[in-house]
Amino acid sequence: MDPAGPEPPVAHKGIMTRHAILLAGSLATVSVLAFVIATASGKAQGTPQATTAADTAFEAPEITDTASLEGPRQPIFFRHDVHAGQYLIDCQYCHVNTEVSPKPGIPTVSSCMNCHLVAGTGIAEVDSLRAYDRDGREIEWVEVHDLAQFVHFPHEVHVNAEEEFELVCEDCHGQVDRMAQIYQFGALKMGWCLDCHKEKSEQFDTVVSTDCSVCHY
Amino acid sequence: MNRRRFLKVLGVTGGGGATALSGCSTDNVEKLIPYLVPPENEIPGLATWYASTCRECPAGCGFHVRVREGRAVKVEGNPNSPINQGKLCSRGQAATQGLYNPDRVRAPLSRGDNGFFEPITWDAALARITERLNAVSGDRVWFVTGNEAGAFDSLVSEWLAALGANPSIVYEPFGYEAMRHANRVVFGSDSIPAYDFAAAQYVLSFGADFMDTWLSPVEQTRQFSEGHSYDSGRMGRYVHVEPRMSMTAMSADEWIAPNPGTEGALALGVAHVIVRDRLASVPSDVSRIQTLLDRNDPASVSGVTGVSVATIERLAHEFTAHSSLAVAGGVGAQHDQAHASVAAANILNYVAGNVGNTVTFGADINPSGESSYASVASLVDDMAAGRVAVLFVHGADPAYATPANLGFAAAMRAVEFKVSFSRFLDDTAMEADLVLPDHDPLEQWNDFEPRAGVYTLQQPVMQPVFDTRQTGDVLLALAAQLGGSVAATFTAASYKDYLQARWQRLQRDRRPFDVFWTEALQRGGMWTEPGERAVRLAAGAATVAEGTWPQPSGEQLTLIAYPSPALYDGRGANRPWLQELPDPVTKLTWNSWLEINPVTAERLGIADGEMIEVSSAHRTVTVSAHLYPGIKEDVVAIPMGQGHRWFGRYAGARGVNVLDLLAAEPTEFGGMGHFTAVTLRNTKDYEPAATPAGRSRQMGRGIAQATTLAALAHPEEQHEEEHSEHAAPVPEHIEEVLDEWQEAQYREWKQRGNYAAEDLPRWAMAIDLSKCTGCSACVTACYAENNIPTVGEKLMRRERGMAWLRIERYFEGGGDEPLEVRVLPMMCQHCGNAPCEPVCPVFAAYHTPDGLNAQVYNRCVGTRYCSNNCPYKVRYFNWWDHSNENDAAFSFPDPLHWLLNPDVTVRSKGVMEKCTFCVQRIRGKQNELKLSGESLQDGDVVPACQQTCPANAIVFGDLNDPDSRVRAMATDSERGYHVLGSLNTRPAVTYLKKVTNSAD
Repeated sequence: MDPAGPEPPVAHKGIMTRHAILLAGSLATVSVLAFVIATASGKAQGTPQATTAADTAFEAPEITDTASLEGPRQPIFFRHDVHAGQYLIDCQYCHVNTEVSPKPGIPTVSSCMNCHLVAGTGIAEVDSLRAYDRDGREIEWVEVHDLAQFVHFPHEVHVNAEEEFELVCEDCHGQVDRMAQIYQFGALKMGWCLDCHKEKSEQFDTVVSTDCSVCHY
Repeated sequence: MNRRRFLKVLGVTGGGGATALSGCSTDNVEKLIPYLVPPENEIPGLATWYASTCRECPAGCGFHVRVREGRAVKVEGNPNSPINQGKLCSRGQAATQGLYNPDRVRAPLSRGDNGFFEPITWDAALARITERLNAVSGDRVWFVTGNEAGAFDSLVSEWLAALGANPSIVYEPFGYEAMRHANRVVFGSDSIPAYDFAAAQYVLSFGADFMDTWLSPVEQTRQFSEGHSYDSGRMGRYVHVEPRMSMTAMSADEWIAPNPGTEGALALGVAHVIVRDRLASVPSDVSRIQTLLDRNDPASVSGVTGVSVATIERLAHEFTAHSSLAVAGGVGAQHDQAHASVAAANILNYVAGNVGNTVTFGADINPSGESSYASVASLVDDMAAGRVAVLFVHGADPAYATPANLGFAAAMRAVEFKVSFSRFLDDTAMEADLVLPDHDPLEQWNDFEPRAGVYTLQQPVMQPVFDTRQTGDVLLALAAQLGGSVAATFTAASYKDYLQARWQRLQRDRRPFDVFWTEALQRGGMWTEPGERAVRLAAGAATVAEGTWPQPSGEQLTLIAYPSPALYDGRGANRPWLQELPDPVTKLTWNSWLEINPVTAERLGIADGEMIEVSSAHRTVTVSAHLYPGIKEDVVAIPMGQGHRWFGRYAGARGVNVLDLLAAEPTEFGGMGHFTAVTLRNTKDYEPAATPAGRSRQMGRGIAQATTLAALAHPEEQHEEEHSEHAAPVPEHIEEVLDEWQEAQYREWKQRGNYAAEDLPRWAMAIDLSKCTGCSACVTACYAENNIPTVGEKLMRRERGMAWLRIERYFEGGGDEPLEVRVLPMMCQHCGNAPCEPVCPVFAAYHTPDGLNAQVYNRCVGTRYCSNNCPYKVRYFNWWDHSNENDAAFSFPDPLHWLLNPDVTVRSKGVMEKCTFCVQRIRGKQNELKLSGESLQDGDVVPACQQTCPANAIVFGDLNDPDSRVRAMATDSERGYHVLGSLNTRPAVTYLKKVTNSAD
């Protein structure tokens, strides 16, 4: 980073509630709302359920009963199966910081409006989004992937491990492009992390660290 | 979990049984709230750094502020700044605690009819001021500011001039009036020259605490460390002359305690010998002061000062044998006759030919600007006589920081309308009718000129925390409302515009202004080097004052009121980090104390911790006694900074305000006299001290070791090793066993497939004790970086302090022998053979393959075996839930928790914690390098303590890297040692012995 920004930060509000800051010791929690595999760029090739070119015809189903869907109900019924599945939008189009930041972040309302200024007119959920934008209200998404604050998960390092360790978003996040509502796919428990670290160590005959202090500090 | 709660949880987790019970994401529903519009320069999860300026004292050090998700979380020195070059002191490190202080005034306040403050809108407040200003004539309007060398200063002057009001009064409790007065008399210039401590191989300080608070302590510490510390057989020599050994004086090679307030006479005596014996090429115009020097021959000076003739002669020879520097003017010379001391030091520098070499005029230092205590005293007269109708106070707290007998607060009540721009309800603001809180320095646009040619900028690093307004903007808004000629004076729409207009005038090059401005903001300001100005002895130099402090008679002792290294003049008192920072000298926290020599204490029947009634001619205060061998027998001292009536929850009604004891009358040079005669009475009440320190003697343990320059120069000669019996070498066969064991451990790790040991760094630290001054900046930096809670006075008494890094201070000698002070930063030694690790039943304390002694908080069950088994006592147990607002020991009242470092776990009750070598910085750097594909370089990882150390005493790095600095220091056979190394702990921290350059 540049040691000094050229201008002061523009007006904004913090990303987390005060309550969350206090509980989580600020942003130690590594958390992701949703992650989609980049189907269009073919990143997911080789994994069994990966979307292939033939699947481009995938059409997200119409859902009438949202109560039966897995995962927490969100303030806006945002459908990853429509965006990433049907329209094949690259996940990093919205989740822009996944490759550079330990915190992947979730898209700003303004980036939703890049498309929805025009697209989606007539859809109730898009109207709801536009209302948020018009009123300048933040969308309070419910966090799905929540790590304890004493664990530090460098998201960017894992995303960048694709070439070296054949690690793809789906490995942790599941088949997001088929999820009508995001739910937690991986266990996010330490054993689950370690299984993968050991597996990759064997697979690539190298050392993927299992030292405690790599994540716990 | 009751039914309702269960349903609530079920509702948000969607009812999927597996989801609701899996992982860590069960009952605490966290919200993720994205920005509406992505802010520029900011990526969530990554830090953005903004350059700004520290305003905690007038030194004007440069800052880099680390901002995460729109919040300032840490400040570090700006490496580009010519003043501090990347370093900060404790007070600077604590700037974020001013920003997020829970006691800040959160919105404008107005005094209601019932006498209590009530909220008021900004518009209504401005309207009230306008109405008042329209109703009174300009000559009844006064404005008091702190030192604001820059745009704000000029705005206030223009604003007052437009109003037809009196010029503003600048008030800093340390205004260096004596220096300006003496420089005017001796050199005909009342500016403060630049002192070069780096170039001086011999420093003679007459009471100047140049590493505590005097002038520019961070810069001077760096320079002193450069000029004085041991390096391949060479080092400087530093002699300190003052009746009390200050933190600065602890680093001296020789401490001379003259009669209080006679430093000036001693300086003249040394000058006399130099001129008499022609020890230097004395400038010819010294003849002007020949009679003055003649009067101060060593014999008569010895009689006044109590320093032997031989010492005076020796000092003169030493002073001229090397490039040297004499400084005077610190608190040791802040008495009625302080101008005589400074004048004498000036003359000494002049006769030794230092003026133009180590003392240069031109790049004049501006601490405290034209501050004058005398003008505040005359304002009090005006206020009391009803000649003041409207009073504005900004950036000063004169009701606290003046002697009680001056009656500032009482006089304020005679003023019809008082407006305070204070950020806190301090003692002055509590007397005001309107309190219009200013932005914190981290929230505002501003500039500052700490020395001629150095212009530093401040920029808002985040949105204001509260409903505050920058005072510059308030003044401009008032001008607009007043209309007429006042409004016409100002064209700027906002203070930022006003500032930029000033910088347009400062710009020297022909680039577009916004290019220049952006670059200056990024760099932190603009530095130019003004030419040097030659000075000669002024015509009136012979007329300098020669007075000394009149020694009190009978049972009376001289009391010195000195600035606290942590709290300064008291402005830091509401920062819990600074309150809990053990005083570098006495190691006391959270209170005031009376320093008294043990001999005097015995004579008067006073024991440590007993409450003593200290009475001067003006007031009486009661304060606990602290027996301190570093103070002359006829002198006692109380630090400034405590005893606020208001100010906030941490400062209010804590300790005593020593200024209450002082005389209200300004001295001859217009300053405040910090010396007074007192008598002591023991009340026999007792209050245990809140201190983390145990014994002040090493008892032969060899913890803080030292050697002399002579011993290093002649290692073949047998020198008495004071701790030799304890530094017994480890028998060879034990060494072998340990080596084998360590090797086996690494093999095992490798076999488990966890670590590629040969590729891994081995983190280690080296600390040069010949550089460490004990200033404790590292301690506060550690608090800031590692989310260490403060525990308060009560728990400090029970030794429940949580500081991961402490500065141990030991006395050597004393009595008939010269007193020597040793300091040693003590943190987790990350032992290779750590006693804490094998005793942990749950493997929470374990060794990482890269040489860290790690503590896994989520494993720790709190047996405290590790702490019991640690010979260094550097493990700290969370007896309370400091981050829980329902806990009695809650440390982070809203919004203080905003400064928590997001990269470091906030520990909860029942777990052990300790220094991690800033593992978050190590892992952060490693992750960064993984992405960039570069390899680790020496100096890539800098822990918070090393980052801020003004003396550059701490070095951290990879022991496996043959070229690393830490490796070179760790293998220093000349001075390197491990603390308690004979216990076979194999610490990763190597200390290099302190070196004393004793008199030949």
